[in-house]
Amino acid sequence: MRILVVGDGKVGHTIAEQLTREKHDVVIIDQDDEVLNKCEDTLDVICVRGNGANAKVLLDAQADRADILIATTASDETNMLCGLIAKRLGTKYIIARIRDPEYNDSLTLLQRELGIDMALNPERATALEISRLLRFPFASNIESFAKGRVEMVEFRAQEHDVVVGHALKDLARMRGLPQVLYAVIERDDRVIIPTGDFIIQAGDRVHVAGEMVTITAYFQYLGKNSLRVRRVMLLGGGRISYYLAKMLVPMGIRVNMIEINERKATLLSEMLPDVKMIYGDGTDQELLDQEGLRDMDAFVTLSDRDEENLMTGLFAVRQGVPKVIVKNNRVAYAGIINSLGLDSVVSPKSITCANILRYVRGRVNSEGTKVERLYRLMDGKAEALEFIARPGDPYIGIPLKDLRTRPGALVAVIVRKKQVIVPFGNDHIEAGNSVVILTRDSGITDLNEVIRR
Amino acid sequence: MNYRLIVRLLGAILLLEALTMLPSLVIALIYGDGDAMALLLSMVITAAAALPMQLLFRPEEKNLRAREGFVIVALAWVALSAFGALPFVFSGVLSNYVDALFETVSGFTTTGSTVLQVFEGQPHGIMFWRSFTHWIGGMGVLVLTLALLAQMIGRASHLMRAESPGPEFSKILPKTGNTAKTLYLIYGALTVVEFVLLIAAGLSPYDAAIHAMGTAGTGGFSNYGASVGELNNPSVEIIVTIFMIIFSINFALFYRTLTGHLRESLRSEELHWFLAIFVIAAAAITFIILPQYGSFGTALRHGCFQVATVMSTTGYATADFNLWPEAAKMILFLLMFVGACAGSTAGGIKVVRIALLIKQGLREVLRTIQPRRVSVVRFEGRGVEQSMLSQITVFFFVYIALVLVGAFLLSLFGPYGFETNFTAALTCVSNVGPGFGAVGPMGNFAGYGTMGKITLILLMLAGRLEIFPILVLFHPATWKRSS
Repeated sequence: MRILVVGDGKVGHTIAEQLTREKHDVVIIDQDDEVLNKCEDTLDVICVRGNGANAKVLLDAQADRADILIATTASDETNMLCGLIAKRLGTKYIIARIRDPEYNDSLTLLQRELGIDMALNPERATALEISRLLRFPFASNIESFAKGRVEMVEFRAQEHDVVVGHALKDLARMRGLPQVLYAVIERDDRVIIPTGDFIIQAGDRVHVAGEMVTITAYFQYLGKNSLRVRRVMLLGGGRISYYLAKMLVPMGIRVNMIEINERKATLLSEMLPDVKMIYGDGTDQELLDQEGLRDMDAFVTLSDRDEENLMTGLFAVRQGVPKVIVKNNRVAYAGIINSLGLDSVVSPKSITCANILRYVRGRVNSEGTKVERLYRLMDGKAEALEFIARPGDPYIGIPLKDLRTRPGALVAVIVRKKQVIVPFGNDHIEAGNSVVILTRDSGITDLNEVIRR
Repeated sequence: MNYRLIVRLLGAILLLEALTMLPSLVIALIYGDGDAMALLLSMVITAAAALPMQLLFRPEEKNLRAREGFVIVALAWVALSAFGALPFVFSGVLSNYVDALFETVSGFTTTGSTVLQVFEGQPHGIMFWRSFTHWIGGMGVLVLTLALLAQMIGRASHLMRAESPGPEFSKILPKTGNTAKTLYLIYGALTVVEFVLLIAAGLSPYDAAIHAMGTAGTGGFSNYGASVGELNNPSVEIIVTIFMIIFSINFALFYRTLTGHLRESLRSEELHWFLAIFVIAAAAITFIILPQYGSFGTALRHGCFQVATVMSTTGYATADFNLWPEAAKMILFLLMFVGACAGSTAGGIKVVRIALLIKQGLREVLRTIQPRRVSVVRFEGRGVEQSMLSQITVFFFVYIALVLVGAFLLSLFGPYGFETNFTAALTCVSNVGPGFGAVGPMGNFAGYGTMGKITLILLMLAGRLEIFPILVLFHPATWKRSS
């Protein structure tokens, strides 16, 4: 597909990079020559210099023949205008980043009138992700598959967990333990797709997949689901905090928010009457203590500075707060953060990229490629791919144990009508089933590449 | 420097070269002149040298850096020529290896200068290979490699940038591999059209193929001693003239035309400059040579053909312009510097650069008169950056310097006088083919000794790759570890 990316910022560049890797034709539009030169050197794309909201520039980039335009410049207005013009010129789908809460209220109207197919609000998307993590605090990460029927949840195995020290094939026979799929294990930066003999150790980051009900029961059995978040403290009164508070309050969660700027704090207090606003420095341990950090079920650090978020997050972990979520935009820090014991890290940048990529893949899919959905797990060290099994393929109807599976790959889940199957050797795939594959290789495009007779 | 990647890529390119000898082998078998063994042997040797390079070197890092791109391009051209010369040696057509290398480099660089003295009765397969090198070299060997093997290399645009003629390389499609494929598709289609037209004009399929490939690559090898003139066929001359002009035009314009933007293509400023220079030069020469030919039609035909052949840097000839009045020769001499449009298969300094140099000169005059006057050099409707302008100025200087140094070396090694030496150096750097004096359209380069030929070989390579890739090869900093 031909995809135009307007604005080669952090998000724009990451997306362009990923899309070229997925074999799309990418054109980047930006005003900065230096940025474009670097782009031309490192990515297999065409670069066009100019303002993306200028029709002539868009035509130069052949917007009339483009399939998707992704507007990620720093300005919401430019993004909207850019989308509007490109749509008129003939671009099929428009994705625009619109982040100002002022526009958020009239977003549906704006989208309809401007012809924007997907409006992306990174802060709102991040808030949504955090609210999900707060709803299932035992998970440090959640991904949904097969239209939400299957969830893959990540947690860190601890010394006293019953699953530690047993081979997976023994866990399958353990009485009372709800059966889930042990999809991927991360151990010391290595990504393992485990076999039956694999033994889980304390400290492993375990990704289990299954239906939400089963997953919930599984964590209840492990004793991890006793926690329910009722009180949460948010550090920083930015846009994410605003959206998050608006989501959490209706869920019956009591929200405390700390903001360093008095005027801003007052304003927020006006807009969010049900939130307890605290004016002060959120990195001040004294203040946190006073405001009852220790009584909180969860603590979310959302200040503008990654380092502050990390340090304060660590402090909260030491204080015994059961669930700590840290915002961090620097991918390079991810490994360090995990080794420090902070499991839940959210990055607005990654979330934005992931959402855009998901949308693009959805469009690609409707134009005839076979991958229904693709999730990059663990910073791209593993991928989960969703396929629809087509009638006539050679693997149809044959028990999995009689099929040859590509090394490093695993048939994780089969979804048949309403039924979610975590497959064992005797299960088979029927035509029309959704099949989720886990793999350490990237670039798989067809189910036939994974399983063969 | 990623040596493994370089070696592996060179292996791939040589393997491809072995494959490109296949059509010549087929021709040799059809005509049965006894040159099939020579071609087969060359194929086997080339492939045998390439396979270990391909198989034994597995680079860990697939991404190319800019300087590796330059080095690969330069080395690839050297390696291709070294192996491409084998058929000439084995068949005995040019038994001296330096002669064979000269002919091959002249072929790949689409120069068309020849050391061949006898054309009659040469084996068909070898003569086909000689012209086929034009066709491959015209659009570029690396471009062909990318069209077929783009997956093998990360950041492949570095390769295309180093090989494509012109000050600025712009892809016509986002993917380098697709760009290369599309370019070759357009190139191949245009060649076939010319081939068919030439047959329709009365040439044998073999002659038509030789001349179509020579025109497409803007090379200029003919299988006749007196070039296109010997065919004595005015309609062939007209067809070749038209196609020499077509292959002088930036291929991006053809792509844009094919995708329905004809009007936009016709608005190209470089095209206007090119056509303007062509029309003025052709008109002037027609007027000057009119007394010599008597008829206006003949003078116009010869004038247009010779201007087209020099501007497109093809090097075919229908008339011995050595015998023309000095003014006409001077015009052709100047055109040898200019060349044709960027992004075409032609050589020379390129019309864009000349246009920008002229515009810069005019601006300088304006500035002298009005020191506070702000004026931006514009081209194709956009302001040209100062860095690009100074790059072009430097290129112009290096180009002229190369011609001068070349002419000096030739006067050291060669038996000829100033006119021959200077135009020989110029015609080789610009990849035109014939010069004046002893190396005129009816002469050849056989009179230069070994050292003279090696000088000319280097000049042709430097000219085809627009100098810098070859200079990069000789600069010690290229081979040092980056700190």
